[in-house]
Amino acid sequence: MTRKEYLQHQKTQRHRRVVGVLPALFPREILWAADAVPAEVWDPPLAVSRAGAHLQPYICSVVRQSLELILSGGADLVDALLFPHTCDSIQNMASVVHDYCGLDTPCLFFYHPKAPYTQHSRVYYRDQLQALLERLQELFGPAEPGALTAAVEMGQRMYRRLGEMYARRAGGNLGLGNEEFYRVLRRGEYLHPEDFIAELDQVLGRPAPAAAPPGPAVILSGVVPNPPGLLSQLDRLGVAVAHDDLLMGSRRIPSRLPAEGDPLDRLTESYFSLPPCSTRSNSLARRAAYLGQLVEQTGAAGVIFLIVKFCEPEYFDLPNLVEELKARGVPSLVLDTETNQPYDGRMATRVEAFIEMIG
Amino acid sequence: MSFAAAMRYRFMKDLGAPALMAARRAMRKKRPSRPDPLFGPPLKSLARLKEIMMRHYFLARYAPGAHPVAWVTSGAPVELLRVFGFYTFYPENHGAMCGAAHMAPELCQAAEDHGYSQDLCSYARCDLGHYFTGKSPAGQLPKPDLLFASNNICQTVTYWFKALAHYYDIPLILFDTPFNFDQITESDLRYMAGQLEEMITPLQRISGVKFDQAKFLASLELGRATSETWGQVLQTMRHRPSPLTIFDTFFHMAPVVSLRGLPVAYDYYQTLLEELRDRVARGIGAVKLERKRLMWDNIAMWYKVRDFSNLFAEHGMNFVVATYTNAWAETIQYLDPDDPFRSLAKTYSLVILNNNLDHRLSLMERLIADYQVDGLVIHSARSCKPYSVGQYDLKRLLMERLAIPSVVIEADITDSRAYSEEQTRTRLEAFFEALED
Repeated sequence: MTRKEYLQHQKTQRHRRVVGVLPALFPREILWAADAVPAEVWDPPLAVSRAGAHLQPYICSVVRQSLELILSGGADLVDALLFPHTCDSIQNMASVVHDYCGLDTPCLFFYHPKAPYTQHSRVYYRDQLQALLERLQELFGPAEPGALTAAVEMGQRMYRRLGEMYARRAGGNLGLGNEEFYRVLRRGEYLHPEDFIAELDQVLGRPAPAAAPPGPAVILSGVVPNPPGLLSQLDRLGVAVAHDDLLMGSRRIPSRLPAEGDPLDRLTESYFSLPPCSTRSNSLARRAAYLGQLVEQTGAAGVIFLIVKFCEPEYFDLPNLVEELKARGVPSLVLDTETNQPYDGRMATRVEAFIEMIG
Repeated sequence: MSFAAAMRYRFMKDLGAPALMAARRAMRKKRPSRPDPLFGPPLKSLARLKEIMMRHYFLARYAPGAHPVAWVTSGAPVELLRVFGFYTFYPENHGAMCGAAHMAPELCQAAEDHGYSQDLCSYARCDLGHYFTGKSPAGQLPKPDLLFASNNICQTVTYWFKALAHYYDIPLILFDTPFNFDQITESDLRYMAGQLEEMITPLQRISGVKFDQAKFLASLELGRATSETWGQVLQTMRHRPSPLTIFDTFFHMAPVVSLRGLPVAYDYYQTLLEELRDRVARGIGAVKLERKRLMWDNIAMWYKVRDFSNLFAEHGMNFVVATYTNAWAETIQYLDPDDPFRSLAKTYSLVILNNNLDHRLSLMERLIADYQVDGLVIHSARSCKPYSVGQYDLKRLLMERLAIPSVVIEADITDSRAYSEEQTRTRLEAFFEALED
């Protein structure tokens, strides 16, 4: 079933709502509690034409292609659009869509507080969760009693499995190639958690591989594991991605999953335990320490930065992260690409040369 | 703070700076100005403005050790810092200076050599370029003890200032202002006011000065009066002919940005306002032949201010309003001394760049009517995403609603490498023709 067919099925057969969600950090559980399926939009495979009338060429391809999707009928399927406050470009694109694109689809906005955090940040974040829940209830009707608690627990089951998947991959015990790993992970961008958890269980139930890949291990950092050609090349070269620091990947997996208490408090606690991220404005020291820790724990021989061209939050952190890795003796490679850019020979040669160097 | 540094600062303030100003005045007297065929006589206040800013940058060199030094973003609530005696320095103002002095490409290149992308904000690249090279048109910049930022103008400043915090190894205080997508909520206000109150403890620790409520209220009042007077300065441009051009205001805005909450800024705008009102009464225009009145959208192109000023004046066109310069006056009415923290939060969070595009469209429509604008020049600045994303829609809607001709110039605020003279000239020629139709 394609993504579109799956979402249509959710609407017609399961009578759920579908909410289109722009990157990156948003409380999935709040949407699930409102019996809505989030369909995340990161890198739709579209050439930009209509969006060019609204956005300058120096805006990143994630934003330009997302707007293209919305303008070319992609919003027809969804019951609402959610714009998390990720960066200036998404912030203003939200306003363009809400104010000037003539859509009937309701547009929701989710602001998460930026670091350095204060004692008020947690209170505010919880308020934002509550406000989003109320807004969804206004749109879709009241949630079932206990739906939020159930959603939080479902989220925790999902995060535990994701955590296990990452840990087993880091230990060479997962049995998924790089391409397959991210194909599975990215299905979580639109599957209902019940279905996604079932898929994760299936993956985790596979036997461990007899031997680890022969090549060196690397860490991926950046926004999305794009272009996909990179992952298949790493597979061919026998290189294992031991872990990632990707915005769509491990940066969205909390380290704290409180077992009990008020569901909004539990979500708040989890949010503030997320790994450091440029879009939350965490300090460079924290980001460098986190990346260094991933390298150390997995024994990775290098880091590949997958930067989406024009992505300000990532661009600003990059020089320091590269420098800190260098100081630790960890080589890194920076690939600055558009999300739909083909994986060309030049890029493949650079990756090959990098793998040879660290191998 | 050290005694020796305090004595040196005092000496420079009482003797060094006045001597420098006197020498500058003496030099200026030797250069009599000739009447300009395009522009009205220069403002007398301009000399005072130059003195104020020169003195500010001169004394900044001696501030470390004598005063706690804070580097501040242009939209941060600086009134709070005044209570603790911080010497404030504005990297954005310095970036503009680098652009105007045509030093930006060199400094940006230095930042790029250290891994910063050419597609990042050029104010930030100028500033980081200064960090790596020590070069600046202002000579020496004061080493900061604190970084004080607000993301009410962009998220870029949070990334930029956290890089500075890393390099200088000093604290960063962020005033986080939720973007006003729809309307400001009670929760937003509580969050922002709470942050402001919470800042007092670290500010006391860094400065060694205790918070004083009376001083805070006095600083708020001075900031309010300064912004209000700046608003009145801008309002003189509603007159035909306008006594100022927007290119003048790009420079005259320096005190309201950099010295807000200090008496010198307020006094300066009182003087300027008096001179402008006199010009209005005598019908003296900044541009001798003001046939068409224009609005500017976005930050200035600092390396082209003089060229653009001449080019438009040659066509009998004067920029009489800008969304940019208006930003330091537009929300000051929300400030309420009876509710200082909440009202300060409201004042700073409702500024143009922290607001949705519908708000900006309404503001532009109002300014077009109030200032009798005939055309609009939109600077699509690579550096500034929150100002630039949405401009294409604003252009279209203003044309549909008000039949206002407009032109988009794709360029940058300081990095002239992102500017194409040929492309801009072609677009402007078409715009001039459209305005004459």
